[in-house]
Amino acid sequence: MNTFLVNLGIGLATAAILSLSAVAFTLEYAVSRVANFAHGELLTIGAYAAYSGQAIFGKNILGAALLAAAAGGLAGLALNAGLIEQFRGRNAITVFIATLGASLILQNVLMIGYGAANVSYSFRQGNLHHVGPFLWTTSDLEVIGSALAIAGLIYVLLQRTRFGKAVRAISQDRVLAQISGIPARRVIMQTWGLAGAVAGFAGFALAETIGTFGPGLGFGFLLLTITATVAGGIGRPYATLGGALLVGLAVEMTGAYTSSSYQLVYGFGLLVVLMLVRPSGVFVRRGAVAVRA
Amino acid sequence: MMYWVSVITEAGIFAILALGLDLVWGWCGDFDLAFYGYLALGSYMTMVLAIGKPTPPTRYIIGLALPYPLAVIIADVVVVALAAIIGAIALRNLREIYFAVTTLGAVSALYLIVEVYTPLFNGYNGLFGLINPGQALLNLTYDGYRQVFMLIVFAALFLVYLLVQRLSRSPFGRMLRAVREDERAAAAYGRGIFFAKYRAYLFGAALAGLAGGLFSAYISAFNPSAWAPQELLVIYAAILVGGRGNPRGVIVGVFVVYIGFVELTRFLPSPASRPEFGPGDAAGPHRAADHPDAQVPASGHLPRACGGWSGPAEGLAA
Amino acid sequence: MSGHLLEIERLSKSFGGVAAVRDCTFSVGEGQVVGLIGPNGAGKSTVVDLVSGFGRPDSGRITFAGHQLVGKRPDIIARLGLIRTFQTPREWRQLTVLQNVLVAECVFAHESLWRTVTGARRIRREEGKERIRAMEILERYQLSALRDTRAGNLSGGQKRLLEFARIAAADPKLVFLDEPMGGVNPVLGARIGDAIRHFADEGHTVIVVEHNLPFIEKTCDEVIVMDAGQVIAQGPFAGLRDDPRVVDAYLGMDLSHE
Repeated sequence: MNTFLVNLGIGLATAAILSLSAVAFTLEYAVSRVANFAHGELLTIGAYAAYSGQAIFGKNILGAALLAAAAGGLAGLALNAGLIEQFRGRNAITVFIATLGASLILQNVLMIGYGAANVSYSFRQGNLHHVGPFLWTTSDLEVIGSALAIAGLIYVLLQRTRFGKAVRAISQDRVLAQISGIPARRVIMQTWGLAGAVAGFAGFALAETIGTFGPGLGFGFLLLTITATVAGGIGRPYATLGGALLVGLAVEMTGAYTSSSYQLVYGFGLLVVLMLVRPSGVFVRRGAVAVRA
Repeated sequence: MMYWVSVITEAGIFAILALGLDLVWGWCGDFDLAFYGYLALGSYMTMVLAIGKPTPPTRYIIGLALPYPLAVIIADVVVVALAAIIGAIALRNLREIYFAVTTLGAVSALYLIVEVYTPLFNGYNGLFGLINPGQALLNLTYDGYRQVFMLIVFAALFLVYLLVQRLSRSPFGRMLRAVREDERAAAAYGRGIFFAKYRAYLFGAALAGLAGGLFSAYISAFNPSAWAPQELLVIYAAILVGGRGNPRGVIVGVFVVYIGFVELTRFLPSPASRPEFGPGDAAGPHRAADHPDAQVPASGHLPRACGGWSGPAEGLAA
Repeated sequence: MSGHLLEIERLSKSFGGVAAVRDCTFSVGEGQVVGLIGPNGAGKSTVVDLVSGFGRPDSGRITFAGHQLVGKRPDIIARLGLIRTFQTPREWRQLTVLQNVLVAECVFAHESLWRTVTGARRIRREEGKERIRAMEILERYQLSALRDTRAGNLSGGQKRLLEFARIAAADPKLVFLDEPMGGVNPVLGARIGDAIRHFADEGHTVIVVEHNLPFIEKTCDEVIVMDAGQVIAQGPFAGLRDDPRVVDAYLGMDLSHE
């Protein structure tokens, strides 16, 4: 068996989850201009909702996934209404600190609710499948398949619907969009609901793939999400998919050929290097976004 | 009584860290998330320079038995060297969120390397054994030493305060404030923005490293569960309470927040394990500090600082 | 071409495919007050940015007092003696009026971190000279009474005056004023005109970007007219009034009045 291809397959599964998380993060940024550091907790909430839902759904993985998405969506709505909208128009760093604070509070609340120890689902990982040159478990396939489906769904939503048009208009200029009759508040709310649902599902998929998780699940994944978002170009949903693929593969492949313990080190190292050379994104023409002071 | 000595010593150490951080945030306006890493590196380096050769299975670099003050100074040089690298990357043309994310990325990488790469600072189990350096030399009892150490911390804090106050009132401080108020206008009047911020950053990091050196002797043991980058937020809260860019206010802020935090949260019910953030970690080291014969890392047996800080690293490989 | 303080040759800059400045060429002699005028979007402000290092030209050369400026950072260019202003006053808001002027005096030796740590008292003593000079400058712009006021609390007109006080403190060879008359009332306008003439009398060279043509006529020795990113005329104001290209650029506006 070619280990390179096996690792590539694992990388693709990671990239699939990362792309969902990163697309949600970038949607939040696009409509609210916020680097949401409580984004990781949307994932964690999704993961724990599915964990609690096992009592109801038993081994029905679809039910658990939907519950995770629903919980994430609700959390996204609450976060927007309770925090982001309250801080609208404030200095970017102020909002950033507020979301960071919210993140820590949510982590501690989850810890009080579920305990600090790791928990795990009772779903089976399923059999190994040879798909073309790759080797995947059933749950890997489910994750990759649903990620593709969700990415397609978001594409259709953004490109083909009035909602998508409104989102794009708001991401350009909220005030202008409002003047042209777009109900900005509502569309932003809906976007946060959507982003939260995608993040919640990503959290479930992440927890399922890892096997065990704790209250810090999402926070640990957040920097990787930001790396993927930055690699793609923040606020650009499609470029983010490319960024996630790049980062997911880079992290898995470097980890596979050195030591998996260092995966995240490479991820964070990549983030720092990206910030140094291409803060506006790998897939964005140089100079298109000015980050310079 | 000894409990209060412990709390006040710790607050004094964090006040030094806060003064350093305030140079970067309060004076230059950059929201840095790497500073706790500088304190941690200062702690680790002081220990490997002062606690002597490692005994297996413990592993760490260097392993000298230098006098404690010399170890602190050399450790601080190493901290400034690291800050010189991170600052060179992050300060050049990144601002606001981009700056914050870059520094967080850098310190997170540092955290993971320290935890995973055992030969560096003994990995997850961390370092221990820096117990009351110089106690025999000074011919003090355990409690007496802790009190003297508190005075040493306060002497250091006072000197740092005088130094920062001097900077604050100098043309150098005035220039930094001008840069913070309006970078473009400052550049139009001949100020190199990067170099101005960079100097302040290195100076602030040196204070963080000094705080780390003092911290290592205070808790006598240091491991990855004793610190997490997010803990810096308590320091930010303290600076906000005291007033950005105001050295005296910052010191007061740290004492208010720290003592308030530690004292108030003692009476809160704690979840299954310790709360991850702030008070838990503030309380953790006391235990080690209050037990002279603590040979195990302060809180090594407790759950991780952040359950999944590196969770995905283990998981994604599965 | 020698004897010119500032020489700009075939300067070009475009943003996203749109040319803001195209093959712009002009030069300015020492001690002159030159007006840079042109309709909106003519590229005047872009020229200011390019010369002062806040933008990088796509091509062309900028020579200032024997130095090649293209590619140099704004602070380096400022240290060579070229100070610029911005369309809106950019005072350091939290600093007092006096501190603003002290920073603008640009005595970089006093800002050494090492010297501050080792000998703050000596720096304070040495700075006495600069303080006296700063107070004299504030006196000249009638800001002495406000010296301890935070600059952010000044009125719009006072901020304009502070900008001139800062330039006087910096004592540059050349100063680029980007619309100094924006939002200024006639009384203050007259004082700004005097201030600019005063700079020239002291041997400074001044380039003023301005829309207010009567002001330009009164204040400037020479005028450079830009349109669509190019210099279309240069010379004394009186001679340009009837230049067909200039009249064309201004769409037949009556140039003798606002």
